[in-house]
Amino acid sequence: MSVKAGPLAVAAKVLLTGMYGVPILWILLTSVKSSDDVFDPGRTFLFRPVTTAYVEALDGDLLRALLQSVTIATCATALVLVIAIPAAYGLARTRGWLPTAALGLLIVLQMMPQTATVIPLFQAFSGWRLLDTTAAVVLADAALLTPFATLLLRPFFRAVPPQIEEASSIDGAGVLRTFWSVVLPVARNGVATVGTLTFLLAWGEFLYAVNFYLTPGQYPLSALLAQQVSAFGINWPGLMALAVLTSIPILVVFSSTYRLLRDGLTVGAVK
Amino acid sequence: MFLLPAAVFLGLFSLYPLVQLVRMAVSQVTAATLNADWVLTGLDNVRRGFETGQTGPAISRTLVFVVVVTVLGMLVGFGAAIALRTTGRWSAWLLALMVFVWALPPVVNGSVWKFLLNDAGLLNTVLLSTGLRDTPVPFLYDQHWALFSVAFVNAFAVIPFNTLVFRAALMTIDPEVFEAAQLDGASKWQQIRHIMVPSVRPTTLVLLILTLVYGFRSFDFIYVMTYGGPGTATNTLPFLGYLQAFVRYDYGLGAATSALAVVGVLVLAVVYARSIKREEADG
Repeated sequence: MSVKAGPLAVAAKVLLTGMYGVPILWILLTSVKSSDDVFDPGRTFLFRPVTTAYVEALDGDLLRALLQSVTIATCATALVLVIAIPAAYGLARTRGWLPTAALGLLIVLQMMPQTATVIPLFQAFSGWRLLDTTAAVVLADAALLTPFATLLLRPFFRAVPPQIEEASSIDGAGVLRTFWSVVLPVARNGVATVGTLTFLLAWGEFLYAVNFYLTPGQYPLSALLAQQVSAFGINWPGLMALAVLTSIPILVVFSSTYRLLRDGLTVGAVK
Repeated sequence: MFLLPAAVFLGLFSLYPLVQLVRMAVSQVTAATLNADWVLTGLDNVRRGFETGQTGPAISRTLVFVVVVTVLGMLVGFGAAIALRTTGRWSAWLLALMVFVWALPPVVNGSVWKFLLNDAGLLNTVLLSTGLRDTPVPFLYDQHWALFSVAFVNAFAVIPFNTLVFRAALMTIDPEVFEAAQLDGASKWQQIRHIMVPSVRPTTLVLLILTLVYGFRSFDFIYVMTYGGPGTATNTLPFLGYLQAFVRYDYGLGAATSALAVVGVLVLAVVYARSIKREEADG
């Protein structure tokens, strides 16, 4: 469908471009400024770019935080997919009061405020002696994201025609084999979309990390950033450099999966 | 059989914690007694929350916050979807940019807005140099401004998603409908009013609840931008519960406040489940 933009639509687009472009531009500009130039209106665009903030930020602590982020996001995504894929398939293929109740429960869990779950989880993990371990953060993140992942995956499995499953079972394939080699490949777009989103969300999660790790030495990037931005006397160039470094993996994931996200995100909400 | 792993996992890490939350809410739990036996105190925590004047104002702040996020998120999201329906490179790039910003961690978006809203930040620099203000606007340091500023940034973060969903819904409208309307001399505004708004209605309902919930459970921008301050100005219900538990180590009180937030979510979840059910029945 080709629609011509009227003057109002152009105005809206200018406004939106500014609203979403300026923050990104400012992160980048500020990250290469020296501290003296940050709040000098005369040097908004004309300044001598320096890499001080990056040089200062790039140390062993940062690499450790990066490694933590990668570990947490990867493990949480894998765990979520292993649990959510069969659950979503099961819920897409069955009817009755049990799946309906399970769906309702998932919706409720998906909506739970994270600040409400962090309190009892902290208590539970301290009882299970899991505090200050990466396992605690991975488990909590997975529990946070599994309901969402299952609900988003379900329509993708419902879109798989039941006929091809019947054909497969007539050929003598068992339920598991049919699921693995027939259904899953057909629904791979959905799995990729949900996997990407789970990774992005786990990458940005910081509340569990800040509370379950007892020392900042173990923080992932997002928690490090959250800790620095709420401190007094913020070092803006350093903070922005950290923000850029935290966002680069997001950019990589985003640019390779944008089409999937753009089309897959709306599956749950639009029919 | 396929549901078993999910049932076990969520039972252990989602449902059991919720049960614990309720138990903590009706008990006296401090840092010292976190892993000991708790003294049952009934609704004492809830009463204490209200009597000390923390819970009541937090509820009204939450409502203001949710309304601002939802109204901005829905209206701007719908407007942006209409503007971005157009084909062309600019629209495609802008949509990609918006979805990218949406995909960024909230800490990153929160940090840059904290910077832009600073006394000497971009917004105040523009306001001062154009003579609209004589003094910087205390966006994040004023009792009244802070809540609106953080709510605005929350809306900023949810608008791309809403735009994407609205846009997908608008794309399903048959182009011939617009051609026919144009032949009949319908104005742009009439097309929006009589074609677009009715056709996205089912989507709007689902999205409305999602946005309400998003605003309600939001804490990350508050954490990053104001940490509940100045004073208690941005203590919404979920964030107040967090502060009570992890800053003041009164886990019982924090659990009670959070349990109230959970009740709020339950109400929204019921509405959501009913509207989904209606849609599945229709489709």
